[in-house]
Amino acid sequence: MKSVARIPNKELAIFFIVTVAIFCSLSPSFRTGENFENILVGFSHMGVLAVGQAFPILLGGIDLSVGSIVALAGMVGFDGFLIFGLPGAIVIPVMLATSVVAGIFNGVLITGARLQPFVATLATMAVYRGVTYAISGRQLFPELATRSIDDDLLLGLDNYVGHFPYAFFLLLIVAGLSQLLLAATRFGRDVYAVGGNREAARLAGIPIGRTTAICYAISGFCAGLAALILVSRMTTSQENLGIGIELSAIAAAIVGGASLQGGTGNAIGPVIGAFLLGVILIGLNLVGITTYAQPVLTGLILLGAVYYDRVLLGRRRLRLGKSQ
Amino acid sequence: MTGEILLRGTGLTKKYGGAFALADADLTIRAGEVRALVGANGAGKSTLIKILTGAVRPDAGEIEIRGNRIEPGSPARMIEAGVACIYQHANLVPAMTVLDNIFLGRQPTHALGLVNAREQRAQAERLLGGYEIDLPLDTVVGDLPTVKQKEVEIAKALSLDAKVLLMDEPTAWLSLHEVKNLFRTIESLKERRVAILYISHVLDEIYEVAQDVTILRDGRVVAACPVGHIDRPELLRRLVGEKLAREVATHSAGDVNESRRGEACLVCEGLTRAGVFHEVSFALHAGEILCITGLVGSKRTELVRAIFGADRLDSGRMMLNGRAFAPKNPRDAIERGVAFVPEDRHHDGLMLQMSVEDNLVMAMLASVSRHGVLQRRKKAAHTMQQISRLGIKPASPRYRVGKLSGGNQQKVLIGKWLQRGTRVLILDEPTVGIDVGAKSEIYSILKSLKQEGAAILIVSSDIEEVMAIADRVMVMRAGKVHGIYDTVRLTEPELISYIGGE
Repeated sequence: MKSVARIPNKELAIFFIVTVAIFCSLSPSFRTGENFENILVGFSHMGVLAVGQAFPILLGGIDLSVGSIVALAGMVGFDGFLIFGLPGAIVIPVMLATSVVAGIFNGVLITGARLQPFVATLATMAVYRGVTYAISGRQLFPELATRSIDDDLLLGLDNYVGHFPYAFFLLLIVAGLSQLLLAATRFGRDVYAVGGNREAARLAGIPIGRTTAICYAISGFCAGLAALILVSRMTTSQENLGIGIELSAIAAAIVGGASLQGGTGNAIGPVIGAFLLGVILIGLNLVGITTYAQPVLTGLILLGAVYYDRVLLGRRRLRLGKSQ
Repeated sequence: MTGEILLRGTGLTKKYGGAFALADADLTIRAGEVRALVGANGAGKSTLIKILTGAVRPDAGEIEIRGNRIEPGSPARMIEAGVACIYQHANLVPAMTVLDNIFLGRQPTHALGLVNAREQRAQAERLLGGYEIDLPLDTVVGDLPTVKQKEVEIAKALSLDAKVLLMDEPTAWLSLHEVKNLFRTIESLKERRVAILYISHVLDEIYEVAQDVTILRDGRVVAACPVGHIDRPELLRRLVGEKLAREVATHSAGDVNESRRGEACLVCEGLTRAGVFHEVSFALHAGEILCITGLVGSKRTELVRAIFGADRLDSGRMMLNGRAFAPKNPRDAIERGVAFVPEDRHHDGLMLQMSVEDNLVMAMLASVSRHGVLQRRKKAAHTMQQISRLGIKPASPRYRVGKLSGGNQQKVLIGKWLQRGTRVLILDEPTVGIDVGAKSEIYSILKSLKQEGAAILIVSSDIEEVMAIADRVMVMRAGKVHGIYDTVRLTEPELISYIGGE
């Protein structure tokens, strides 16, 4: 029994399965192969973003700029493919490098300039979006706006194995590697230590600045991967790509058990969180609730998850208090 | 007991603004030696420790470890050189397991950078076995009792293969029994040629555990010699200076116990909280100090929290000045003139970022404002009165509370509750982590409050303190009252035997 008790996210997984079961019984169009394909296609990139978001949140921080990094990386891709006519083997690494640099810049603001993560990434959220407009090939060469990208390597990403899109496998790889990183490496232990008790981590000689910068770089990298998935599917990019997506990514990470207090969570929970979000949003849509309700629902789910996190924190505090 | 010199600090100096926190301090610690470091709050102990752990870079001075000069100012470098510190406040990550906490930041790894979990566990088991420390490796630290958390800290320091161990008031949160265990561990460390710098306010401990002592006052080393060469009065005199030492001596002489007990003020009957404390009954009189003492875990804090309305009571009733008293929350209790000074100053009592004045008037904003607007003059007058009455130093209302020494913070905290016609003052461990000088000042404040007719209830584990200030003492054991005694007719050994239950 003890080994069962140690499985993380098991309540979340059960909740996920029950939710899927309920929608399957309510709506005939929910329990179709196409619908599950839709959910996988619509939310795999969300899962990637949520896994990335878990790193700053584990540190006790947050990354609000991921939506803008998605747009920035997407626009770098647009320019590379359509203005410069470069091949995917060059453009794709450049897109990812751009997102990593954006992430590192967040980290430097937070550790170097000692800004609060919320404020720092709120500011870069505006900055990266602004830069996206400034470099937009759509503005510079209006005739390119209607052309689609036809790079083989990029379009190859938008493919399927049965009902499963490649993006889903990419998500599995990202989540698996992230979990390995968090659970089995010293860097991962350092992340939990910094998030759990910053002062103890500092006194243990853990390089807090470097750990923080890497976490935001990972969050940026995941935003770059999400941009890749989106651009390959749309075969173009836009300045307003990924607007508001940070809200869903944060909600998915927190639903997935990453505590805003820092120090608790993992990389698998956010994946389940992202698909739970997808199942609920698409499911409610299929049983007849309007799409306009989606942001409202996302917000409510976020509130619910944060509230639940507070309740858990209260319980932990109570336990600590009793033992003293 | 003279081993090789493991750590030598020379001319260590640190200035904050214009003031010297530490001036030209020398310190040596030898292998297999326990050196006590004593000093009043603000004498520079914390600064010295921070320099030795690398948390603070000194303005001048050198550190040598086994003859090698170490560039100061980096925690990682000091740890590598074999200096480890057990901090007064737990420095653990509550959400991680014991195993992960022991190896925080330096888990053994495989070639690929993956943590070698098996090796980690084996090392931990070897370590704990070697020192006979019993800890559940897979338990999350936040779920452990405080005493066990301290052991995790010790294990963490030992796992560093530390040659020099700094212990910053390691017994502050421990029960008597646990202190014995700790001393046993220190003995076995000495046999393994570890050098220990032992910081404590409890003079008994210093005479029991240390061979040498370094005394700091106002940032300077005023004495460094074997403990045997300096007796208690002399140590005290060096520590706090001539005048205060005399005052402390008169406190322990027992003249405080002349009792002018008034009316029963707070009467408690059969107070019970299921699974915590049972059938606790006592009466607290106006103009008396009643101390509640007992071992860690005897539920004293839980009891006073319930009296204050912070926790729920399952049964029992209370009378305050002849009227029924059943506070649903602290606000109710405060309105009836009951005040509570919690144990953890930093977390529960003070706004460290705010000024002395803001903290002092916080609990009485109503009486210094009109129509909801603060009356600046009234506020200032009140603040100055409190500062001089309590002897808060520096006597500046604008000073940030977080920058005050521990003793002065405690005075502000007490001052916060003094206005409002407080009838019952409850204090939880009021002098933990406070130096001898400030202790004696706080005792004077409490004594004068008592003479003004306040009823004072103090939770204390410090037997010297109980004997010095209490009129009566209530001993609790495992949530039950073991007995209530007059301190005039009680000896220290008797009290200890009641507490321990022999």
